[in-house]
Amino acid sequence: MPAPAPRTVSFAQAARRVFDLSLGQMLWSRRTIFLALVVSAPVVLGLVVRLMTAFGIHGSVRIGGAAVISGPSIFGLFIWLLYLRFTVPVLGVFYGTSLIADEVEDKTITYLFTRPIPRGAVLVGKYLAYLVATVLVVLPSVMLLYFLVVPVGGGAIAPTFPSLVKDLGLLGIGLAAYGSLFAWVGCRFKYPLVTGLVFAFGWEQAIMIIPGYLKRLTIAYYIQGLVPHAMPMDDSALSILQVVSRDSVSAPISLISLAVIWLTFLILAARAAGRREYVLEQ
Amino acid sequence: MPIHDQSYRRYTGRREEPGKAWLVIARNGILTILRKRLFIGLLILAWIPFVVGAVTIYINANYPQFTLLAMTAQRFRGFLSQQDFFVFVITVWVGAGLIANDKRANALQLYLSKPLTRLEYVIGKLAILSAFLLMVTWVPAILLLALQVAFSGSFSFLRQNVYLFPAVTVYSCLQVMVSAFTILALSSMSKSGRYVAILFAGAWFFSHAVYGVIYAVTGSTGFSWVSLPGNLNEVGDIIFHVQHRYSTSPAVSLLAIVVVIAVSIWVLNRRVRGVEVVQ
Repeated sequence: MPAPAPRTVSFAQAARRVFDLSLGQMLWSRRTIFLALVVSAPVVLGLVVRLMTAFGIHGSVRIGGAAVISGPSIFGLFIWLLYLRFTVPVLGVFYGTSLIADEVEDKTITYLFTRPIPRGAVLVGKYLAYLVATVLVVLPSVMLLYFLVVPVGGGAIAPTFPSLVKDLGLLGIGLAAYGSLFAWVGCRFKYPLVTGLVFAFGWEQAIMIIPGYLKRLTIAYYIQGLVPHAMPMDDSALSILQVVSRDSVSAPISLISLAVIWLTFLILAARAAGRREYVLEQ
Repeated sequence: MPIHDQSYRRYTGRREEPGKAWLVIARNGILTILRKRLFIGLLILAWIPFVVGAVTIYINANYPQFTLLAMTAQRFRGFLSQQDFFVFVITVWVGAGLIANDKRANALQLYLSKPLTRLEYVIGKLAILSAFLLMVTWVPAILLLALQVAFSGSFSFLRQNVYLFPAVTVYSCLQVMVSAFTILALSSMSKSGRYVAILFAGAWFFSHAVYGVIYAVTGSTGFSWVSLPGNLNEVGDIIFHVQHRYSTSPAVSLLAIVVVIAVSIWVLNRRVRGVEVVQ
């Protein structure tokens, strides 16, 4: 009697199984403490701001040079300074680079790669788990912050709600784009975390103040094109340079560019995971 | 067939004086890191600002009409500020795994079963990171000072800015101590170097981002003490006698730095132990 033909699992099915497995691991691990710290700090700060303004301790929030103390503007400030410039890139670096590196470090990559599923599906499944885990934690914190900060200074919630929806979408797009880039970095480079940190906090920050085309080689440039809030500025030379050298990119171009970045790096990451030989440390 | 004596034999090698064991850890750690070619590349990159500074000093010494390039204390302060980025990268690269990797490999017990105290272990690890950090901060800054004297052919600049040598030394040491103690404390709290690196990056950049938000809301720079780099900047401005960028009292910034170092030492004292009690 001939042996039954082995059941083949499609790429999508395999990715889904890895996703199911990884999501629980990502949400219930010690690193969730880091994630919780990163997303809860803005909420705590929002609470402090609410208390400060309640006691009349507020100064000159300046957006585009004009002083404002309205809640929606302060909320926009939080989105710019804490979420877009810090939380989204840092979560992308941390989770993106560790998708495969964690398994290599724990010497469990063998168990995943010896399954009868495409190697690329392992990475895509883990990437989707990262995306869901971070979105599930980051977006509620933004919602909380919104309801804490927007009513400050007589700000109304209803008229600014569409801008919140845009912000939530923007953060999701940012997490997806940074995640795919750093997933590729994690699969391709020997020191992925250092490379990722240098890109996010060195290259992206430095290049944004240089006029010209170089800033198109960053993700932040395209994300800034989608932000519904005005860019905050202070008296520092860096802030002035950022405003002077800022050239706006239209929302459709930003969206298309981010989609291209996301897809390109996700494919490259899946290819790199499929082709690279991982040597486990003895 | 010869029969070898496999029983206990006394150590016949050279015995080091007590208190020198940290040198072994430091030497091996430094040599291990220097074997990485990419890291050598980073060190070379970190010396590019020195080369630029040296050229500036040369031009200034030979063509005094370029007043824009005149050497001042502000330039030395600026040079050390430029090195902040390299200090961050080297701290993350070298420091993140210093204790975490030993904990992951259960090597801490092995280390501490040798004639090596916990203090010597920590000093050895600190020495590894400090050596590389001083290599990109104190060493090039002092060399720039020496080049200034050499190219100008007089000690007049040094006489006019006699505080520069101690200022460069104190600020570099402060920079190194804050970075090294913080990352070592974080490294002792985890078994994953990558987790440590991201925690350090978080502490560094997030504290500054939080300060940015507070500044924007209150319009006051008096809250710069919440930012780790902000505290270093404030104390650095005082040390170099340049205009302060924050209205925070320098004593508060210094206190914040001392608290960070003290907490790091406390964490190291709690976490670097030969025996781990698991509840």
